[in-house]
Amino acid sequence: MSAERRDDLTPEERDIIARAAAAAPPAPEPRWGDYRAELHARLEARRSIGARLGHWWARPAPIAVSVGLAAALVLVAVRPSEILHRADRRPDLTAVDETVLGDRIGLIEHYQIVERLDLLEDLDVIRQLDRVQLREG
Amino acid sequence: MTDDREATSDETLCRRIAARDDAAFDVLVARHQARAYRLAWSLLRNAEDARDVSQEAFIRVWQAAHRFRGDARFSTWFYRILVNACLDYKRRGRWWRRVIARDAEHQADDEPLIARQPAPGPDPGDDVIAAQTMERLWRAVHRLSPQQRAAVILYGQEHLSMAEIADVLGLAEPTVRVHLHRAVAALRKELAP
Repeated sequence: MSAERRDDLTPEERDIIARAAAAAPPAPEPRWGDYRAELHARLEARRSIGARLGHWWARPAPIAVSVGLAAALVLVAVRPSEILHRADRRPDLTAVDETVLGDRIGLIEHYQIVERLDLLEDLDVIRQLDRVQLREG
Repeated sequence: MTDDREATSDETLCRRIAARDDAAFDVLVARHQARAYRLAWSLLRNAEDARDVSQEAFIRVWQAAHRFRGDARFSTWFYRILVNACLDYKRRGRWWRRVIARDAEHQADDEPLIARQPAPGPDPGDDVIAAQTMERLWRAVHRLSPQQRAAVILYGQEHLSMAEIADVLGLAEPTVRVHLHRAVAALRKELAP
């Protein structure tokens, strides 16, 4: 390449770089015939892939598939909020809590009694309060 | 191959390759294969990888020949493709396993380095010291960052100018200077007694 180079390296710096480059051991030489044959094979493989892709696009079925995919992408692009909203539907835990509380609303109305019964149970004055059978009427 | 064909410039061959001339591609490969392989080997330090990446660079030349503008030399354009292919190869990470394996077995590498020295001079001890220095230097080159290493190899081995190295690496010239200065600072430590 350049026979004479103009740069701001000092002679000592140039010498270090030259010595570093010269320190490279000789590259193991490949058989150049094999090298070129391998290169041709790789190039042919790329060409055939390119050609196959060309044929693929020429067929009607793949075109139909591509149009379908494109339509799906357009749908996703145009109506993302609705799709995301649907995808984001998970069980609402607050609603479940409200249902459970609704079942126990009677207990909340008599909270002071419940509190006292709990205290008595804690102090072992009464036991197994949960198993007490309610009498209807 | 005729003499005419031999005399054809790289730039002309590249234009013919853009027109899908297989013979022109063969001439160009034969002309540059050794240099491309050697440069890839210096950067990748592995024969198989160098073979793979230098071939890939030629394939990219085939694919991109129509984009060669001709306002730069073919060799600079080709170096850019090749060096980038080497740096990409390193970034992809396939190389580091080999580097670790090689560094772990570096004792085994010492023998060929000494063996490749010139015939023994009057004091064989000096040759051994020189070989050890070369070995240390070569290892130090491979501890440099990929861009510093590429700059050192392109400057010291391929004799490119700063401007050409900047073009090949896609960097500004001052950046190349910084890479080289830092590389020299690291290499100087290896040469210190």
